[in-house]
Amino acid sequence: MNPLIPLMVIIPIACALILNLFHTKDRTVKIIAIIIAIILPSIPLFTNYGYHYFGGYAPLIENPALAQGLPVSITASALNVFHPAITYYFGSAQQIFMVVLGIIAFLAILTSLSETRKPSGVYAFLMFMGVASMSAIILTDDIFNLYVFFEIIAVTQVGIVVASKVKGNMETALKYMIIGSIASPLLLLGVALLLGVTGNVNITDIIYSIKTGLVNPQSPVLLMACGLIIFGWLYAAGLPPFHTIKSEIYSRALPHGAALLQAFSVFTLVAIGLIIIKIFAFFPFANVFIVGISVIAMILSITMALMQTDFKRIIGFLAVGELGYIGIGLGLGTAASITAGLFQAINEAIITAFLFIGFGTILYKTRESDIRKLGGIMVEMPKVTLLVLLSGLAMAGVPPLNAFQSKLMLIQSSLSAGVPELGIIMILLSIVTFMTFMKAFYAIYMRPKPSTLKIIDSNIPKATIFSLVVFLILCIILGLFPQIATSYLQPLANSLI
Amino acid sequence: MSLYDVIINKIKQIQDSDKEGGPVTNITASSTLAAEITLLSSILVVVIMLRYYSNALMVIAVLLVIGIIVFAMPIMPKLKKEQNDSLNSMIFYAILILGIITTLFYWGSLNV
Repeated sequence: MNPLIPLMVIIPIACALILNLFHTKDRTVKIIAIIIAIILPSIPLFTNYGYHYFGGYAPLIENPALAQGLPVSITASALNVFHPAITYYFGSAQQIFMVVLGIIAFLAILTSLSETRKPSGVYAFLMFMGVASMSAIILTDDIFNLYVFFEIIAVTQVGIVVASKVKGNMETALKYMIIGSIASPLLLLGVALLLGVTGNVNITDIIYSIKTGLVNPQSPVLLMACGLIIFGWLYAAGLPPFHTIKSEIYSRALPHGAALLQAFSVFTLVAIGLIIIKIFAFFPFANVFIVGISVIAMILSITMALMQTDFKRIIGFLAVGELGYIGIGLGLGTAASITAGLFQAINEAIITAFLFIGFGTILYKTRESDIRKLGGIMVEMPKVTLLVLLSGLAMAGVPPLNAFQSKLMLIQSSLSAGVPELGIIMILLSIVTFMTFMKAFYAIYMRPKPSTLKIIDSNIPKATIFSLVVFLILCIILGLFPQIATSYLQPLANSLI
Repeated sequence: MSLYDVIINKIKQIQDSDKEGGPVTNITASSTLAAEITLLSSILVVVIMLRYYSNALMVIAVLLVIGIIVFAMPIMPKLKKEQNDSLNSMIFYAILILGIITTLFYWGSLNV
């Protein structure tokens, strides 16, 4: 039992509630939000690996004193190893995911507080509540508990969009909720079918039941549960057919909000994707489907990004397209590909947040996001321009930045798995990603400034520059020393094979 | 009329009917062409992956895709129009994918 494990969820929830209470007290909101945002990435660094059983209800096998008085019919059965309460697991992979999520949350919150004149307690509440839910989704070993936080995170995403004063945000938030009202109940139905077949909601116990033959793996109800959970996963991650609404959601949020929203999508994709791979390991078609839908996501989103004229929408589609790389890594199902996919997830979360906050400076200076109406920004802010250029190079996978390493690992693992076509598609789409970014970059920064464009005479906040520099440092460190991340991810990938 | 003119005219036609506004600039035209080529080449590579199931199926699918390319080009403006922000089309595609998933995972898996 490790009391620090639940604190990773409890602290942001408590902070969110307190900030909501202090909504009008600007200075208090700022101080509390920054202190807690600094604590968020720090807790996982000091937490030991292990399980946390809520209520102290450990499995009987780990509690000999309780098991001693029970009949043999219980202690000799599967009940001896089943988890009676909600269980959180914290391993090396969870640690690195939590640290990266914490860093992105800290930088997004810091940028938000520095770019807005009047900090909103409600907006900060939504950001912290989202982080808490995301942490729970990463840590939980209970599929129903995951569903509960999946719902909370969907509501906080809608809230972040509603709280952003961007044109069309209300309509987009409503659409996201309506579409969620189709996908979420179906995910719940999948969980219910799984519970019906296995009698359990604990993921480890479900896997145990399937592996030991307590449940027939070929049960059509189990296969149906797999299909429905995958459908919910598509919605949570923003894979097709939900790629359009996901990119729209990003474009209707403020840049710091969008940076956090995309991190939620990336980590939800990984968390639920890993659960699908673990539970339905007996069913190879699930992996084929994951690879197929990931390839479709990449092709549709990256080509759609090329066709856009709004830079927020361009990054939104590129972010969804990059999710496909992670999906391919998970779907190929080898230890190398899963490690590469998880590493790509970490890199993508960092790079896309970098891009959103970097391009957000354009909005700060011009209040304009249509690339046809922009130009000449390089003259106005050359240092930020360089940082944004580097973020784009990172996303495209240019060495020595981090995505180069993860994309190279993905291509190598696709070749090792005997599917070179996937490697070709990944290379092709990386080139197109670079081209799409350069199109937007040229139009915004390098083209002569249009006479109609008005530039606001105020400096970019230092906190925003600080955030961009931290993201760049992370990209360089992970690019030069990828083993810093992969050594944390390999144990999880090996355990799945 | 060259192929380039045919594509540009089609983009103009679809953009006008979409009431998106704005002239067809060099950037728009070259982006559309790049997206079109990316889409077609990616689909062809994806279709080649059918060889893992059946070589004959792959050959038929490649010929079918080439046929579709010849008769339906340019595809990208139509695809953009289809992937719009309308709630109706989003729900339509969500239900369609749900139907496909249900079919593949439930009925499709029973006889495998």
